[in-house]
Amino acid sequence: MNCELAQERIVTAAYSELADELIHELDRHLAACAPCQSEREQVLALRLLANANPVVDPAPNLVARARLRLDEALDALPPRRWYERWSQKLKNNVAGLQRAPVVALLLLAAGAGAGALGGYQFAQGRAAHAAATQTVAASTTTEQPSAAAATLANVASVSAIVRQPNSEIVDVSYNQVVPRQIRGSLDDPQIRQLLMVAAENSASAGVHDDSVGLLAAECRAGHSCQPSGIRDALMTALRHDKSAAVRQKALEGLEPYVAQDVRVRNAVLEALLNDSDPRIRTAAISLLAPVEADTSVRQVLYSVSNSDDNPQIRNVSRQVLSRVPEIQ
Amino acid sequence: MGGSNRETAGQAQERLQAREVENDLIREAQAGSRSAFDALVRQYEHQVLRLALHLTGSEHDAEDIYQEAFLKAYRYIGNFRFECSFYTWIYRIVTNLCLDQLRRRKTRREDHAVVLDRAGDEIDLLAAVSDNRSFSNPARELDRKVLAGKIQEALAKLTPRERMVFELKHYQGLRLRTIGEMLSTTEETAKNTLFRATKKLRAQLAEMR
Repeated sequence: MNCELAQERIVTAAYSELADELIHELDRHLAACAPCQSEREQVLALRLLANANPVVDPAPNLVARARLRLDEALDALPPRRWYERWSQKLKNNVAGLQRAPVVALLLLAAGAGAGALGGYQFAQGRAAHAAATQTVAASTTTEQPSAAAATLANVASVSAIVRQPNSEIVDVSYNQVVPRQIRGSLDDPQIRQLLMVAAENSASAGVHDDSVGLLAAECRAGHSCQPSGIRDALMTALRHDKSAAVRQKALEGLEPYVAQDVRVRNAVLEALLNDSDPRIRTAAISLLAPVEADTSVRQVLYSVSNSDDNPQIRNVSRQVLSRVPEIQ
Repeated sequence: MGGSNRETAGQAQERLQAREVENDLIREAQAGSRSAFDALVRQYEHQVLRLALHLTGSEHDAEDIYQEAFLKAYRYIGNFRFECSFYTWIYRIVTNLCLDQLRRRKTRREDHAVVLDRAGDEIDLLAAVSDNRSFSNPARELDRKVLAGKIQEALAKLTPRERMVFELKHYQGLRLRTIGEMLSTTEETAKNTLFRATKKLRAQLAEMR
């Protein structure tokens, strides 16, 4: 991914419009590109700044006045006659009918196409069958089907299929998944690598949950939680995981690093601003309380104290803010 | 962020029921029922006024847009064929009227950085959101007003279309796909317009520093 594309995606990600599969790609680019990281901070700052021009509900007087004026205008309109309504209905029906020939033509074309394809395949099958019975073909597969049948249970994907001309013989190339198990300490780099893979990619919700939980516990215990490895995995889980329980665990794991690592602090600030779960937003406030003097933290707390849907969160963020000296 | 778009089966069911009720109202309004149309107006009037007021910065203009939008809706409700939601349909009317208003304003080179009431006096929108804060103080209020003024100035320098996309995305929280539908364009174009708008806004606000 180049920086131009990354910067477009930063904006769409800031507004939660980036597809899930592109978020990880963007995170990887950001981890290695300082200018794009700065770009992202500026976009997030703009989002905060723009909230200083809030959307407010229209005053009741304005609503009442507008409604009254509209009622008067509607009353002044002559009622629509039955033939006007009928002509409108007719117009709508005609518009519907205009599309009918197009749909019929498409159906006809699709039917003709399917028929031709079916006929072609049927003729091909008959020709191949006839050729196979005439030549008494010897098997040219690299593995006999009977031997392969026993091992086909773990097929992950089929990578290529080549049919021998005028015969029923095909060469099928496939990949297999071989299950493996490894046992070791949580401090073992290999085990940690596997836990990080599970945290990012596991299809099983349980495995995913367990891996984030274990990584978070390691970080909390201060067991060499490097900025580029486990911390990154926890930040990604906090930002993008669909499960609130997993995001909660990731947040707890990041707690010891809020003060020293600005990237962790930014991830927690994003959670406070954007997370859908009020418990996580509340937990994020308590994590940020020790670093309340940071300008970004104050800005976010200020924004949350004004605009969060949850009154308790607004209240807590105000309490934290009230302990901080004025913005310089 | 995970979980923000999730919807339970119960919520989906409720949404479908509400949509059915609304569709019945639309059919009745199409058949000439004024009370059904009034019910539709009540359902959307706050959103229409909120959008128009924030975009135009003038109560007078917002009121005019409200009036014109619902009169148009009344006249053309017979053309509504349930191909999109009524919400998208009415917003399309309102956004077109707002775009016309913003274009006229660009031509006249007017540059409202404040919200005006019907008599042309300035309204303090921020007061409406700041009075109930226990920790508020005059110095901070002043900072907020200055900042809000600068943001309104920067927004006024966007093209009407960029202003509209930024408004619908940032302030109204609509999906880019919906914005594309409302502005009769594609999601991709809406995305590019949003990108351009944020870039321009950052440049404007950096200059003002």
